[in-house]
Amino acid sequence: MSGTMVRKKHHKSRNYRLFILPALIFYTVFIAFPIVYGLFLGFTDWSGVGSFNIVGLKNFITIFTDERFTPTFFNALINNFKYLICVWIIITPLQYLLAYLLYLKIPGRKYIQFMLFLPQVISSAIVGFFATLVFDPNIGFANSLLSTLGLEESAWFGDPNMAFKLLIIVIIWQSTGTGIMIFYANFMDISSDVMEASKVDGCTEVQRFFHIMLPMSLPAASSNITMSTIWALAIFDLPYMLGGSEGGVSGSLDFDNIVFYRYTFGTGLNGKSDMGFGAAICVVMFVIMLIVTVIQNRVLARFDYNS
Amino acid sequence: MKKFKKLLAILLSSVMAMSLIACGSSGSSDAEDSSELEGGVSGSLLIWEHDYSYEEGIEALIEGFNELYPDVEITYLIRGDGDYDSLLKTALQSGDGPDIFWTNGTATSTMPDLVDNGMIVDLTDVVDMSFISEDALNVATVDEGIYNVPWMQMDTRTCYYNKDMFEQNGWEIPTTFSEFVTLMETIYNSGTTPVSMALDSWCLLFAYEPILAGYDHEYCEGLSDYSVSATDTPVREAMQLMVDWAEAGYYGDNWTGVLDSSSQILAFTTGNAAMFIDGSWDASNISMNNPGLNYGAFAIPSEDGTTGLVGTEAPGFSINTESQNMEAAELFMNYCASKEGQTAWIQAIGGVPSTTEIESSSEIIQEISDSGNGNTYRSWQNVLSNYSDESEASNIWADDFTKIFTGEMTVDELCDEIEVLMQ
Repeated sequence: MSGTMVRKKHHKSRNYRLFILPALIFYTVFIAFPIVYGLFLGFTDWSGVGSFNIVGLKNFITIFTDERFTPTFFNALINNFKYLICVWIIITPLQYLLAYLLYLKIPGRKYIQFMLFLPQVISSAIVGFFATLVFDPNIGFANSLLSTLGLEESAWFGDPNMAFKLLIIVIIWQSTGTGIMIFYANFMDISSDVMEASKVDGCTEVQRFFHIMLPMSLPAASSNITMSTIWALAIFDLPYMLGGSEGGVSGSLDFDNIVFYRYTFGTGLNGKSDMGFGAAICVVMFVIMLIVTVIQNRVLARFDYNS
Repeated sequence: MKKFKKLLAILLSSVMAMSLIACGSSGSSDAEDSSELEGGVSGSLLIWEHDYSYEEGIEALIEGFNELYPDVEITYLIRGDGDYDSLLKTALQSGDGPDIFWTNGTATSTMPDLVDNGMIVDLTDVVDMSFISEDALNVATVDEGIYNVPWMQMDTRTCYYNKDMFEQNGWEIPTTFSEFVTLMETIYNSGTTPVSMALDSWCLLFAYEPILAGYDHEYCEGLSDYSVSATDTPVREAMQLMVDWAEAGYYGDNWTGVLDSSSQILAFTTGNAAMFIDGSWDASNISMNNPGLNYGAFAIPSEDGTTGLVGTEAPGFSINTESQNMEAAELFMNYCASKEGQTAWIQAIGGVPSTTEIESSSEIIQEISDSGNGNTYRSWQNVLSNYSDESEASNIWADDFTKIFTGEMTVDELCDEIEVLMQ
């Protein structure tokens, strides 16, 4: 290689490095550094102001052994996993089915499409407000309807046996559209040659669904499930809106992000904040999310159509 | 040409960098303004409040202050109740805090924490506190220094009632505690929910404290100097009464679904419940919610007919030690501590004055004020907060109070938890 070529290559790579430098600086300052600093804070007793002391593993020991905190943390973690299971066995299959119905061009699909995507543009705060209008025991539409029909009224989100199921219903209403969009785009991407060939070969609709559509949409399912898993483990806004910072009645709407919020920033007027402990909760949550995502990706990779 | 391009690039970069620095340094006060104190006091001040219900109070204060010091430009921000403390701490820690800010005084650990870290100005020799009572100064005092200008206003609790419902059904305002219990039973038997309640620690507390005062006012008198145990028999019995009433359906069959004060107020203002026991500060919310509602207020009486108001004087503002306009900030705090400032604030927010020198701003506030017959009792939660390390007993109460209503804990279990944390 001549000296001129080496110089040109070096010059080119220097340009690339300069090109990514601003983004790298921002990423380092606002993402990488806070992650590392957060990890460090997990080993301190910092309240949010002033100086702090290094307390070693104390915060982590508290998370796993404290008489008061540990049951709260694991109750919330179980709720996170219950939600995750709902993602796997209810929400994702439902999204897939609805996307397939839209793909089949069923009558009135434009209207259905509009209604399914509508909640996507509404913030969780507004969705929470709508849910309150429906399920408030005193002024809610649901109890008015039950009362009119002569049926027994309910506490809805105030009933620990019902609160979580209601939350899942509200989440399905709010978030189904995202997955439908991904699956639908994937269906549209399947080559028309393949579909036409299947028709020529006399494939039934059921055979086409199981032998063509399903295998070819597995990559979309994989990315959809991965994203939904991260959302499921990081959920905060909707349960906070519906159950408050205390996690609803008997912790029925408590999730680990709400626990983190409660213990890090204090609950409203109590005002006691503990950034060190909050950082430790974050670290534990990060590790849990990492483990779940890695296992899930390995499982999903086995079903990868391309592999 | 190449050199010129380089020069131009450097020049433009410098301009961009300077503009970024200019944007970044827009702190709480305009330092340049504050340094221009020509003749009178000028410059700007930024105030942080924690709740929108106090917005009219701040505006009244600013108006009154600007009549005296027209050259001081005051802006305020209301930073939302739930996140307020963390936002404040972050802002102060980063050196970008407001000049003046609200704290919950000694009721929570935030103000003492900020005092420990030298982030709040000691007002002892800075502000004339002659109008403020000793009781009120208690909420502002840390280690004999005064760090907050409290309001001569009782953050008290009361029992609101629907006057029309009472008249139509012939229900009478109770004069003894047993009459109050009978009244709830009568209302329940008529098919109406007697009391609107929410399954939230604070909502339950604001009902519990006046019920405790009605149940045993002599015990509550002992709370003022902490000469009684915070978990004594009356505390446990009054709590158990509330649990029993919940089980009897006095808060409605599905009351556990009411999870915040907004829904709790709605149940009262829409006529779903005949009574609503809550803070005096919610009178304005009730009126705003249903301007046509004909309602009044009474204090829950004790068996011998004694009534009183439970609560403490409300904490107010503090000064940031890093304020760039200290002179104006101190003058503002002096205005807050004056009779004029106190009157402006209390009347604007519809607070219950704790001194006869300030008139009530509305009929309902006067009714609340009169219902106490001049007796005041210290808040039970305030005792938990002040007499346990880092307010730990209060935090335990906040975490677990709802559990006695959902059957996850017994009253004795909760009180025993609190007892070990009390000094």
